[in-house]
Order: sequence, then C-alpha cells, then structure tokens
Amino acid sequence: MFLNSVVLILQETLEAALLISVLLVFMRLRCIRPFWIISAIAAGSAGAYFFALQMASISEWFDYMGQEVVNASIQLTVLLILAIFVAQNPGATHSTSKPQKDLGVIICTLLLVALSLTREGSEVFIYISGVIGHPSHAQPTLTGSGIGAGIGISAGVLIYYGLLGLPTKWIALSGLLLLSLVGGNMASQATQLLTQADWLPYSKILWDSSDGLPENSILGHLLYALFGYEATPSLLQVFSYIAGMLLISLCAHLGSRKISFSTDQKTTDHNASVNR
Amino acid sequence: MKSIRVFLLASILAILTLFNFVAALQGYQSSLLEAEKLFDSQLLQTAKLIANLYVDNTTSNLNYLSTHAYQVWHDDQLLAASNNAQSEAITDRYPGFGYANFDGYRWRTLAYFDHNHDNWIIAAERTDLRFILAESVITKAVLPIVLGIPLVGLLIWLIIGRGLKPLRDLSDQLKNKQVNDLTPVETPELKDELSQVVQSINVMIRRLGTTLEREKRFTSDAAHELRTPISALKIQLHNLEEDIPVDNESFAQLQSGVERMQHLIEQLLSLYRSTPDEFSSHFTSVNLYQLAQDVIAEQHLIFEGKNQTLALEGSNNVIEGNAFTLSTLLQNLLSNANKYTPTGGSILVSVDENNNHICLKVEDSGPGIAPSDYGKVLERFQRLNNKSEVIATQGCGLGLTIVQHIADLHHADLSISPSSFASGTAFSILFKKAPNPDEKRI
Repeated sequence: MFLNSVVLILQETLEAALLISVLLVFMRLRCIRPFWIISAIAAGSAGAYFFALQMASISEWFDYMGQEVVNASIQLTVLLILAIFVAQNPGATHSTSKPQKDLGVIICTLLLVALSLTREGSEVFIYISGVIGHPSHAQPTLTGSGIGAGIGISAGVLIYYGLLGLPTKWIALSGLLLLSLVGGNMASQATQLLTQADWLPYSKILWDSSDGLPENSILGHLLYALFGYEATPSLLQVFSYIAGMLLISLCAHLGSRKISFSTDQKTTDHNASVNR
Repeated sequence: MKSIRVFLLASILAILTLFNFVAALQGYQSSLLEAEKLFDSQLLQTAKLIANLYVDNTTSNLNYLSTHAYQVWHDDQLLAASNNAQSEAITDRYPGFGYANFDGYRWRTLAYFDHNHDNWIIAAERTDLRFILAESVITKAVLPIVLGIPLVGLLIWLIIGRGLKPLRDLSDQLKNKQVNDLTPVETPELKDELSQVVQSINVMIRRLGTTLEREKRFTSDAAHELRTPISALKIQLHNLEEDIPVDNESFAQLQSGVERMQHLIEQLLSLYRSTPDEFSSHFTSVNLYQLAQDVIAEQHLIFEGKNQTLALEGSNNVIEGNAFTLSTLLQNLLSNANKYTPTGGSILVSVDENNNHICLKVEDSGPGIAPSDYGKVLERFQRLNNKSEVIATQGCGLGLTIVQHIADLHHADLSISPSSFASGTAFSILFKKAPNPDEKRI
C-alpha cells in the first residue's frame, strides 16, 4: 500500500507540479498575479472531487470505456489549450513591473491548471477513498501519499526556482521546451487511452527498454510523470508524442514570429513618420 | 523572487523534503528486504522446530497458527500436516525458499530436510501478512519524517526571519529616515555580510550631504554674485535711457536682453530652491483660493498692460503644501498665460473641489498647444511657439518645468488640455485635499 500510494500520488502530483511551475514562471514573466493560478487550483480541486464522484457513471459511457475516452478528451483539450497558450508568446517579458492584463494568457492558464488538476486529482480521490476504507491500510496509504505529494511538490518548487534562476534569455526557451514535453506526454497518454478503448488500432511495439529502465521502478515512474516514459511504446504512441511536441514548438515559433513582426512593423511605421 | 524569506523557505524546504522522502523510500525498500530475510530466518527456525516437535508427536499443537502451514514428508508419505495445508506437497522437495499459492493466498515456502529422521519439513507463511507486518513497522518509522516536515518548515521560517532581521532593521531605518536626515546609518548588531553595504550607504550619504551643502553655497553665492551686477547694469541702463533716443532699437534690445537675463537667473534659482525635499517636510495648510487672490492682486498690472481679462472662480479650498512654492507655481502659470495670450484675450483661474481633490486650473485664450507637444512644454528650456512669438515674449523656457517640479513636490498631478475658450490651453494641477481638522483629531 505504501509504495503504491507513493507511486500513484507522485505521478499525479509531479505531472501537475511540472505544468503549474512552468505556467507560474510564464505568469511571472508577464507580470500577471499568481492569484489566478491559486483560483485555478481551487477550481481544479473542486472539479476533481465532482469528477471522482461521477466516475462510476462516466465509466459506463461508450460501452464501459467512458473513463478512458473522457480522460483522453481532457488530455487532448489540455494539449490544444497549451498550443493556444504558447502561440500567445507567453515568454515575452515586459519592461514594466505593472501587472499586464493579458486576458488570453490568463484564460489559457486557468483552463490548463483546472483541467489538469481535475483529471489528476480525480484519480487521487478515487484511490485514497478506495483504500482508506480498510483501517489497516490507512496509515501506509496516508504516509505514502504524503511522501509522494511531498516529492512531487518539492520537484515543482525546484523547477520553478530553477527556471527563474536561469539567465533571462533562457527562461522562456526552457519553459517552452518543458511545455512541449508536457504536450508530447499528453498526446501519447491520450493515444494510449484511446487504444485501450479500441478507438485507435493497436500498433507494433517499437522498443523494449524494460530491462534497462523498468516502468515500475522509481525512476521509471518519475520519468513517466515528467516526460511520459514508456518502456514498451507503440508506434502510434511515439508518433503522437512527437506530433504533440511539434505542435507546441510550432505554435510557440509562430507566436514569437507574430510578436517580432508586429514590433518590426511598428518600428518601420515610426521610422517612416520620423522621416516625413 | 520577490521575498528572500519565501524563496529561501520554499527552496530549502523543497530540497530537504525531496532528499528526506527519497531517502525514506530507499530506506523503506532496504527495510523490506531486511524484513524478508528476518521472516525467512524465522520460517527456518519454525521448520526446525516442527522437525523436533514431530519426533515428540506434538505437532498438532501448531494447528492454531493460521498464518503458517506445514507438512512433514517421509519419502512420498505425508506424515503430518497443519489443517490449512493441502494433501499434495506445498512445494517441490528441494531445500530452500520459494513461493506457492494455496488456500486462497500466496505463501512463502521453505523445504527443509531433517537429516536425523530423513524427513522433509515444508513450512509456509502467508506473504500478505508478512508484508502488512513489515510495512506497518517500517511506515511507523517513516511517519515522523512526513509529519516533521511542517515543523521543519516552521523552524526554517523562523530561523530565516531571525537571520534576515539585521537586513530588515537596516531597511526600516532607511525607510524611516527623514528627508533632511543625512546622519550615518547605525545598526546595533552589524553582521559581516551587511557591514560593506552599510559602509557604502554611509559613504553615499556623506557624499550626498557634501553635494547638497555645495549646492546651497552655490545658490547663496549665485544669488549675491549674479543679482548684484545685473542690478548695477539695470541702473546704468536707466541712466542711459535719458541720453539715448527712445526709438533706438539697439538700446531697446539691450534692455530686453538684460531683463531676460535677470528673469533667467531668478527662474534658475527658483528651480533649485524647489528641488530639495526639505520643502515637502514643512507643509502647512494653504488656502489655494486665497493664495490665487493674492498672486492675482500682485500681478494684475501685467495683465492690464496687455488689456487682458483675468477672472478667478471657485471657493475656499485648503491643501497641505508650501505657500512660497505654490505662489511661485501660480505666478509662473499666470506669467505663461499672460505671455501667450494675445492683447485683449482672457485668462481664467479656478479652484474647485473634485472627489477629495482640489483642482487648480489656469486657462488662457491663446493660440493653444498641439496635444503632441504637451510633453515637450514641460522640458527645460523648451519654447514651442514660432520664432517671432518667442522673440516677442520674454522667457527662458523654465517656467513650466518649475511648475511641474513644484507639483511633484506636492504629490500633485499636472495635466495639460485645451482650454474652455475657443482656443488656448488649460493647465490643471490636481492636489490632494487637506484632511478635515475634525478628522485629524480622530
């Protein structure tokens, strides 16, 4: 129970902590108050509770594949919102410390945090409420959950301060790289769930690294939570992982080009008016 | 990293938690392995015990142990077994440990050969119970690490707070320093890390004091050294006026130049005098309406000279400020309006209350200023109108800079907009209203 609790809670917490810490860094760069993230965490926790309560009936949807399909839909929605988020060039810093009312970035951040927490949190709720009913399991479950959550949150805090400690020009780039890995992870997990639900065909296993780095080892679980590590990934999973990463990278690139183009345009207009 | 204390607490606690919890996990896994060895050793002792007990035919005493099972085999004959053991051999009769599934559970098994009686003793123990027992013992050891983290966090928070106290004291001392207090910063408990900072601040304060002293001396010297020769020059010009024809253009230009030089010096000195923060530390209650009346009474002649209409509107409104600088502000605004309003034009001064603010406004019916030039008029030595007008009007481009400066000293906002006349400019200064004397007492 103890180890199972550690692994499950660590996976869910670490996945959420990675996303939230990177989003917090971008909000810091945009001078947006972290109040929005706190509200999103509260909304996500409430969402997770209600999602967990409804899980029994949701599971019966789509020929008893409701849980897989709904979770995959949430992950694909998160991927889409992540793409919209990076397309707004969230790493563009403002010289002024005045809070920027950038509605698009705020809405994307709220949705990303709330949706991710709803999905991850519901699994935690279901697990803990299922296990804690047995008195002999309560102590190891709660201790394991505490350790899992502690490691996940600590990793998130260190990622946050680690990113902020980088030279300014590398902060946004590193954040976008992490977000592209999160995007790849979301796409890969969604593909796996849809394959389980028979919505996508099974494809051949590309490699087997379970001898070198088994999925059920601590490092394997950590890498799964952070980057969606699979010891035996299918062709479709690898393809969707790369597609997810490319989508985020492309949107980030287009977002930064759009900003630099409009800046160039303004500079040209200004020069033209000065010359007149 | 807005707060050093939060940054240190979060990062130290995160590193501590990460290392402690990962170490606890590692400890848990190692302890489980050790517990497994211990349980195996116990199982071996149980098997040996059964071997000895069987000789005494008392093995039935062990039947109450539902967590354990055993069989005693001699060749292929089952000599004895616990109630929960099956009739077939639980495991192969090769010496050593293994696993088997029976009776609805998974069991850890041991095949032990008793050389004294040529019997095989097979002992088994339920793995789930072993695991629960081991986990219960180990998690009890891990629990204090988890529960201790909030306490550790609290201690770190307090220790960092204590460590940063000298920095906070220094910050408070600097924040509470009066604007005219140029005494060195003193901290009773100076830490090594802060001594260099305090030394640098004190050196800076000393330099600032020297610079301010030098500037004060310069003002005093300049006031004396510059005003005296100009006054002498003006007397000489006055004497010359009787000997030189009235229409002598060069003489008129010389007179105008001397006037402009005197004005420039007065404005420069006035600008300097309103710069030091010490003015703002000696604010008194000033009735802006009465002040405007006084300034207008002093200056009405220059408006009459250009046949301009000067009106004052509003009511008694009191602000906290410095009467001398405020009259300079109003003089400059009126002088500016007078210069740029054509002969026969109108100037309106108003003092109104608006949402706990007092608005002093000076409007003229002059040519006005293009909105794109609003920022430029406040720059030093800026005169925006065309050259002929600039030559015609006496000024040095410092008046509105001084107005802006005085407004800043009073924490007031200066804004420029078109006037309510058909053309012209309105200069509005929004002051905070002085608190009601009754409110002050509360």
